[in-house]
Amino acid sequence: MVGSSYGLIGLSLGLVYSVSGITNFSQGDFLVLCMFGAYSLFSLFGLDGYLSVFITAPVLIVLTILIYKYLIQPISGQQLMVIQLTLGLMFIVQNVLLMIYGGNYQRVPSILDTDVVVIGDILVIQTSLIVAFFVTWAIASILFLVLNYTDFGRTVRAVHQNARAAALQGINVRFTQLVVFSMSAALLGIAAALLLPSKPLHPADGLHYTVVGLMPFVLGGMSNFLGILIGGLLIGTAESIGSFYLNGAMGFALPYIIFIGILVFRPQGLFGSR
Amino acid sequence: MDKSTVSRLIGVGAVAAIASTTLWLPEYYLGILIKTLIFIALALAWNIVGGIGGQLSLGHSVFIGLGALLPAALSLKMGVNVWLGIAAAAALSAAIGAAMAWITFRFRLGHLYFALVTLAFGELGRIIVISTDFLGGASGLLLPREPADFLNFSFETSSQYLLLALGLVVVAFATTDWIIHSKLGYRLRAIRNNEDAAQAVGINLLKSKSVAMILSAIFTSLAGSVFARYNGFVDPEFFAAPMIIVTIILFTAIGGVGTLWGPVLGVAVFFPLGEILRGSVSTAVPGLHFVIFGVVLVAVIRLIPSGFVGFVNRLRMGPHIGGARSAFERRGRLVVREPSRGASSNPGLTST
Repeated sequence: MVGSSYGLIGLSLGLVYSVSGITNFSQGDFLVLCMFGAYSLFSLFGLDGYLSVFITAPVLIVLTILIYKYLIQPISGQQLMVIQLTLGLMFIVQNVLLMIYGGNYQRVPSILDTDVVVIGDILVIQTSLIVAFFVTWAIASILFLVLNYTDFGRTVRAVHQNARAAALQGINVRFTQLVVFSMSAALLGIAAALLLPSKPLHPADGLHYTVVGLMPFVLGGMSNFLGILIGGLLIGTAESIGSFYLNGAMGFALPYIIFIGILVFRPQGLFGSR
Repeated sequence: MDKSTVSRLIGVGAVAAIASTTLWLPEYYLGILIKTLIFIALALAWNIVGGIGGQLSLGHSVFIGLGALLPAALSLKMGVNVWLGIAAAAALSAAIGAAMAWITFRFRLGHLYFALVTLAFGELGRIIVISTDFLGGASGLLLPREPADFLNFSFETSSQYLLLALGLVVVAFATTDWIIHSKLGYRLRAIRNNEDAAQAVGINLLKSKSVAMILSAIFTSLAGSVFARYNGFVDPEFFAAPMIIVTIILFTAIGGVGTLWGPVLGVAVFFPLGEILRGSVSTAVPGLHFVIFGVVLVAVIRLIPSGFVGFVNRLRMGPHIGGARSAFERRGRLVVREPSRGASSNPGLTST
């Protein structure tokens, strides 16, 4: 169930990649930034973790647009440079958080904090995870509808398929990319809110979330959005099973082992095509 | 005197100067110098794959962790000779490096895919280390300082460690120099600039990448061993977490990726600066020196993308010889990239 939020992180990576060929390695750190934003809002105003998304997500969108427009788009032709740049951003975000919040684990209480839903006799699930699951699929459905049935969605798909041809049709590629980047930031903000009730916060967790998001992203074939969501569920399930049923190193490593195992047999990902 | 003699003389002079610091530098600065040298060795090792070969590996933390933890664990818990442990760690690193090269080679989506998959490897390595008791678990391993004993890879004074680290840097530097001027170097650069074209002219991609990865993994593992032995305490969150390799990549990026002097300069300038900043600023505000470092890095990438070395070259030889990169750079602004096509993942193809 927690995997659906991972899928959402993967989806935000996938959106950016599909229109620009860029992957932002600081994605996880911006997610943690959002979570700490929610933490601040809670400790200052007592705002609930879920509600704070209406503040953190817009802030993140503005931040993302500034970063992409002034830092990343001018060098978007060079993948290696972009990767190095986003690694640098990761450094900045992580250490700014460390400066402000210190190195201790924090928690944001939520109205759903200790609620559980009991299904039958054996299944006990945290309510927050169920919320995360349904919100993820609702957002994913909206995204699919927008991409498939609106003019804007057609524009995005045109840029995805062939940016130069799209530009020749009179599409403003840069602008479309920026809109998609902000959509990706919004997804990230929502993912942060959904992860908030079930995860403790630490400034150095960003890289972990980046990895957790990139596994579904690669498994899903990098720009197949449904594939990414399913990949997220797979990784999340592997994580839960690993930590419940297996002991020690094997349990924690299970998602990664499955990920690498799949790549050995299907290097293009589960749903990718060569 | 021709150019290579001059640079050789400079190199010998630099080595002698650094070696002489053991006589007059205070202990505190000697410590910083040793760590700087070890980081130079790590950056040089990473540069073989990440710089010359253009394969941005984020999984090198696995090799550092192996080199640091395996010999320590073997000697502490099983009494195995440290030299044997170091050799075992280097061999294992080479094997893992080859495996990484093979897995990522099979689906060529270019540099990005390599970075993503190696990052997953790095994170996997961290998780395995912190949850394996034999390797010290989350609390790490403490290597007691023993009296100097060469057979047990144990040294007493900072001067001895400095000479050890210096020796490692010299070997890594010489190897890099050799690779750059060998056939392997030309192959790797061809792969970096355009993988498809490299394959088309008959370069065996898997072989070249694997050889580079194996060499790089061995050096990284050795540097990890030296680092752990000098540091005395092996903290898995530092030695085995991908963050350490991110730091090294950023140092290299500032200096100039893929050049001989880039990794040396980047680390030599910024690592001591960071340590001194940490000593003075970060007691008040923890993490501040990293933020400063990150901002400098982003500025360098945006303003002089080819790093110090590229910048100096361009000053010396005029704007158009500043490396093949600057040509891409200027064209890159006009290019609208075509994502999600395997062939076009390389900027060289799309910008023509």
